[in-house]
Amino acid sequence: MEIQLKLYGSSKMLSDNEILHVQLPNNSNIKTLRSVLGKIIYKKYLKNNLENLPDAAAFFSEADEVVNDNYKLKDKELISIIPPIGGG
Amino acid sequence: MTLHIALVQTEEEKISSEKAKKFIISEKNGAESIFIGRVRNENIGKKVTAITYDTHDQAAIKSFQAICNDAKKKFDKNASIFLEHAKGYTPVGEISIIIAVGSGHRDEAFKICRYILEEIKHQSPIWKKEHYVEGAEKWLTGHSLRPKKEIK
Repeated sequence: MEIQLKLYGSSKMLSDNEILHVQLPNNSNIKTLRSVLGKIIYKKYLKNNLENLPDAAAFFSEADEVVNDNYKLKDKELISIIPPIGGG
Repeated sequence: MTLHIALVQTEEEKISSEKAKKFIISEKNGAESIFIGRVRNENIGKKVTAITYDTHDQAAIKSFQAICNDAKKKFDKNASIFLEHAKGYTPVGEISIIIAVGSGHRDEAFKICRYILEEIKHQSPIWKKEHYVEGAEKWLTGHSLRPKKEIK
């Protein structure tokens, strides 16, 4: 399966596009997504200081609500990655 | 109308303190408290030229509404609140956030202003990328919205 990950803040270093297409095993949840993202970062983006991102980020569903690690992802679902925030 | 909230695309429009003052002025208010945040030219010893604010627009606006409504409930249900936050590339010296509050009394006006600012920093999905004089840039770290019990 594949999900569309909408990038915000520091996660924008993962792609020049607003959306990153992430391949996942079938029936994956947010916990699996964190693990896959960790591997992507370890392989290609470690020099960008993104190693804490998979653990520190929250994820929003299309309803703009935080989803927990057990949230089951659907094929082609749009999920937003929310790195630690700091406005104001 | 007693509440105005917006994200302002700063490459197209500037955040205006005059607009904020006009919005909150009322004969019912004995106090006005206005907080203005600006982009500073230095951070941790590095010379800053600008900040790019990235925002999850829909969720940020939703959080602004909830925070302002909470502030009114907690301190003064009749308060007028004007809140705007920058979005996009914002050079040094420009306004990044304005919170203007009109209230019956000074204590409530100060408290609402402070409450809104602190809650935005902890709830609203907004990120800062600093741009430095030497040409480098860096996303700043912040407050995690991941449920606390899940963080290792």
